[in-house]
Amino acid sequence: MNPTKISACNVNVFYGASQAIKDVSLELADKSVTAFIGPSGCGKSTFLRCLNRMNDTIDICRVTGDIRLDGQDINAASVDPVQLRAQVGMVFQKPNPFPKSIYDNVAYGPRIHGLTQNRTELDEIVESSLRAAALWDEVKDRLRQPGTGLSGGQQQRLCIARAIATRPEVILMDEPCSALDPIATAQIDDLIHQMAQDFCVIIVTHSMSQARRVSDRTAYFHMGNMVEYGETEQIFINPREKLTETYVSGRIG
Amino acid sequence: MTALAFGILLLATIVAYALNRHAASRLRARGQPLHSLVGHHAGFAALLVLVPVLVLILLWLGLQGPVISRLLMGGLPQGVLDGLDTGAVQLIEAEITSIAGGRIFGTPEDWKLAAAARLVDLRLMSGQMLLLAVSLLALALIALARHKVAPEFRARQSFESIVTGLMVFASIVAVFTTVGIVASLVFEAGRFFAIVPIHEFLFGLNWEPQIPIRADQIAAEGAFGWVPVLVGTLVITVVALVVSVPIGLMSAIYLNEFAAPRARAIIKPVLEILAGVPTVVYGFFAVLTVAPALRSAGAALGMDVSPNTALAAGGVMAIMLIPFISSFADDALSAVPRALRDGALALGATRAETMLNVLFPAALPGIVGGVLLAVSRAIGETMIVVMAAGLMAKLTLNPLDSVTTVTVQIVTLLIGDTSFDNPKTLAAFALGLMLFLVTLVINVFALRIVRKYREAYD
Ligand SMILES: Nc1ncnc2c1ncn2[C@@H]1O[C@H](COP(=O)(O)OP(=O)(O)OP(=O)(O)O)[C@@H](O)[C@H]1O
Ligand SMILES: [Mg+2]
Repeated sequence: MNPTKISACNVNVFYGASQAIKDVSLELADKSVTAFIGPSGCGKSTFLRCLNRMNDTIDICRVTGDIRLDGQDINAASVDPVQLRAQVGMVFQKPNPFPKSIYDNVAYGPRIHGLTQNRTELDEIVESSLRAAALWDEVKDRLRQPGTGLSGGQQQRLCIARAIATRPEVILMDEPCSALDPIATAQIDDLIHQMAQDFCVIIVTHSMSQARRVSDRTAYFHMGNMVEYGETEQIFINPREKLTETYVSGRIG
Repeated sequence: MTALAFGILLLATIVAYALNRHAASRLRARGQPLHSLVGHHAGFAALLVLVPVLVLILLWLGLQGPVISRLLMGGLPQGVLDGLDTGAVQLIEAEITSIAGGRIFGTPEDWKLAAAARLVDLRLMSGQMLLLAVSLLALALIALARHKVAPEFRARQSFESIVTGLMVFASIVAVFTTVGIVASLVFEAGRFFAIVPIHEFLFGLNWEPQIPIRADQIAAEGAFGWVPVLVGTLVITVVALVVSVPIGLMSAIYLNEFAAPRARAIIKPVLEILAGVPTVVYGFFAVLTVAPALRSAGAALGMDVSPNTALAAGGVMAIMLIPFISSFADDALSAVPRALRDGALALGATRAETMLNVLFPAALPGIVGGVLLAVSRAIGETMIVVMAAGLMAKLTLNPLDSVTTVTVQIVTLLIGDTSFDNPKTLAAFALGLMLFLVTLVINVFALRIVRKYREAYD
């Protein structure tokens, strides 16, 4: 296993009085893909949002426990969540391109973080991000047209390109393919494989087959608990826990 | 009599309702499968009686006046009306009416007393006939409704089609009143343009409408160029917008994105109170507080500021517009999907960057629509400018000068000694028509923008 990128220790999350994540501890490896699976409402998205502190934007949400990125406590007072989110990118379940041009969508992150000195560098980042997201060939002639005019699958790849363009170290993907057809899903699967060479990728998915295809390790969540975490092959072929077995064999969820 | 007629109407409706309800329940109790619910049968009967009888009463009340008057005047003795013009005839009729009402002045001629007695008789007769007609019609309809009760009768559909008919009628009334208002404006304005050429009105640079309306009055020649009035309106509107748009937008942005829930809970209601203040109160504020303050501020700087500046009127109008713009912008910002906000935040944008680069542009069409609606409100606003703006039409762009507005001119033209066939009065309608056209264009434009943007996220 690659060196640890993120380590979470005894994480609890509360929405008001109700607890959504119960004492979860796990280590996420760098340059690999980790999948979170589990029935609806078990807290996968909630846990994912802890990793880039997006839960801060929900008023009633409270997170306790210790989460470290490269050994640095991300909830420490000295850490700026804005800076953290530049390091830990996120792709959402529903494609959410900004109502701007395709180019401006991708260039948004580099612009606000001042990643480039001049126009040429920005152009390069936009192109390489779009290429990495397997979208370049489809949009290279219409970069000035609105990103909202793309198809759903293209929009989702645009959002991935947008996330990559910020040069994050970790990419969180919350059901990125739930709105996509099998072809677009396959493209994104390829993309995830590629991204794993440079980034630490974490993906939430309801598709067992996608989890098996793309991930190196898998964590199974159930009602706020992390039931089992291990090599993907082992989780799917030879789960240690009864709950995991019933879920991956398709009997619940 | 009229009250009695309405009483009969009410009673008949209730009776029809109860009868049909009873009849339908009996059918059902006998185990007959009814097509419609008992309530539908009863409601159908009630409407079937209510609507025609109500129409009858209203028609009768509308028509009886003219009919009685025709009969009354026709029955006067030969020759008494010979050689009189319409005004004098109306005077005689009014005298007879007041005698019939028991108000006798002086000693009226015998034929007038007789006519008054006839008038009383006619009225009594009309009332009695109304009662008779209402009762007969109501009975017939009750019988008809009762007769319809049957297992297979589609009371539900019939009931609904009557209700639909009523709704169609209501919307037709609304449309026709609008059409009527516009038509009367156009008609009166047309009379004005027959006296004053339309190009003189549209392009003239002088507005001095105080022309003599009687031969012995001494006044100016009169000039009807609306340009200075329009420019005055625009100056005040621009002042109002320059003040209210930034404040309104910034307060909306603050409330939407940055305010703590506690602050929001206080500020929002305060803004809403501001929106509920009657404009006449704003007018007081402008005249008694803002204008003197501006004047003394101007004096301190050695400037001569007029007591009713465009700045005071526009500034106070801005206060009126702030809640309007702010709540529109707030709605537009709230309508931006949360996903966009999250998307920007997840890229490492600060809240301010998210607002400025993503939320605000996304909400811009809605915000622009709100601002345009505010513009048309500012142009049409009357009370504040009547109290705080000037009366003299002066062609100037200086906000420290006194200007007048379209609405102010309409008010002054129609106040006081007026007659409806001289250009001074008719000019008000021409101004009104222009005001209507300008605000109509702006509103259509604004609503189109707002609607287009509403669809964008669905
Ligand atoms: N904003 C919120 N406010 C209150 N409760 C929330 C909020 N978001 C999530 N929850 C609750 O937290 C629990 C976990 O939700 P979460 O969205 O993390 O589930 P999930 O595993 O991602 O489900 P799904 O697969 O359906 O996306 C659920 O019980 C949910 O009702
Ligand atoms: Mg989820």
